[in-house]
Amino acid sequence: MTLLSLRGVERRFGATTVLHGVDLDVAEREVVCLIGASGSGKSTLLRCVNFLEPYDAGEVRLAGELVGWREGSHRQRAPAAALRKMRRGIGMVFQQFNLWPHMTARGNVAEPLIQVAGTSRAEAEARADTLLDRVGLLPFADAFPARLSGGQQQRVAIARALALEPRLMLFDEPTSALDPELVGEVLAVMRDLAASGMTMLVVTHEMGFAAHAADRVAFLAGGRIAALGPPREMLREPTEPRLRRFLQTYHERNDF
Amino acid sequence: MDASLYLRYGPSLLSGFVVTLWCWMAGTALAMALGLVIAVGRETPLRWPLRGFVEIVRGTPFLVQLYLLYDGGPALGLRLSAMAAGIVALGIYGSAYFAEIFRAGLAAVPPGQVEAAQAIGMAPGAVLRRVRLPAMAVAVTPPLVNMAIILSKETVVLSIITVPELMYQAQTMASDTYAAFETILALAVLYWIMVEGMARLGRAAERRMTAYLA
Repeated sequence: MTLLSLRGVERRFGATTVLHGVDLDVAEREVVCLIGASGSGKSTLLRCVNFLEPYDAGEVRLAGELVGWREGSHRQRAPAAALRKMRRGIGMVFQQFNLWPHMTARGNVAEPLIQVAGTSRAEAEARADTLLDRVGLLPFADAFPARLSGGQQQRVAIARALALEPRLMLFDEPTSALDPELVGEVLAVMRDLAASGMTMLVVTHEMGFAAHAADRVAFLAGGRIAALGPPREMLREPTEPRLRRFLQTYHERNDF
Repeated sequence: MDASLYLRYGPSLLSGFVVTLWCWMAGTALAMALGLVIAVGRETPLRWPLRGFVEIVRGTPFLVQLYLLYDGGPALGLRLSAMAAGIVALGIYGSAYFAEIFRAGLAAVPPGQVEAAQAIGMAPGAVLRRVRLPAMAVAVTPPLVNMAIILSKETVVLSIITVPELMYQAQTMASDTYAAFETILALAVLYWIMVEGMARLGRAAERRMTAYLA
């Protein structure tokens, strides 16, 4: 069953059009990786899904419900409470982690439960500990983010995004800000999550992750999905010329 | 130098010191509270009137504002005691400056921290209370202490409307005794004690608030 459906999604910044009518369906339990050069619109597309970036035309639907805009009359914002309710069902992980520095790891994970779900602090913290354990960071529950490595911070951020039990997880280049030796621990958590059946939309430059964890890979170029298919087809036998060039550059950079 | 003057005028100087401290603390607390409300209010449709308020308050001397409130207030049916007028005037005067400090602090909160809160569906009030204000507090503590110190020295102006604060008591002492040096020395020492105390409190607050960044 389709969980997320994008139809003709457009996003303009002034005179520049960043997304030119993107169509994409993501089924429940499916993992889709978005790849492409920087400036191709991957992150913008991801941010349109939870309306951090208001799209200018087209539709983003989560389980059939239009995200951000009022049904029917396009260009009228949906009520803020309706958007917040929809966002509860979408977890997001950012390139720069964006943990709240004045809260401990446990505090960061418990906060969504306390503020959004109205859970009691004691229950939220117990739940936070379970989630931290799941990403292997229970021993660091009392640490503030500044004390954690980038990889640890990102794993806390994943636990935080899971706190409200979202049906969809968005990852915006989750390993791009990490030292190479810390990338693996984050990808391992993401692979576990994928294996557990989470629906995931992942913007990434980690072709290895895309090859092994994704059900489908979408290649964005110039604000359009230029190619879409299973990872083997897309990454091993690409036919789209821009994708071939993109992968060639990638291989050259990683060839030594 | 006649130290025996301090035996005679010590009690009145100390009572002036206490009044100064009280006016300053009450005025600063009022100014900070108003300033925060104004800074947050400037993100609402009230932004233009609030901006006008800040510009007017910053653009006129404190003494003029004080006269307006104390001498002009009764014309509008507002009768305040000298001390109440002094505290309210300090609160209004300081609020404009504190509002600008808070506004700059809110603007300096990393947008990603706010987006992370919005992305999980946190309501604007919770985002402000739980994410933006704590992040802002760290950035604004030094300029807040600075502004509080500036306000502490504006309290001398309250002597003009007969608030029995430190300056007022010192002027009484000076006109009774003509002992200018002793009076001014006492003033300088007492004001310095107050400001140094504030600076220390500020440093302690800063250390406490940034402890998690270590």
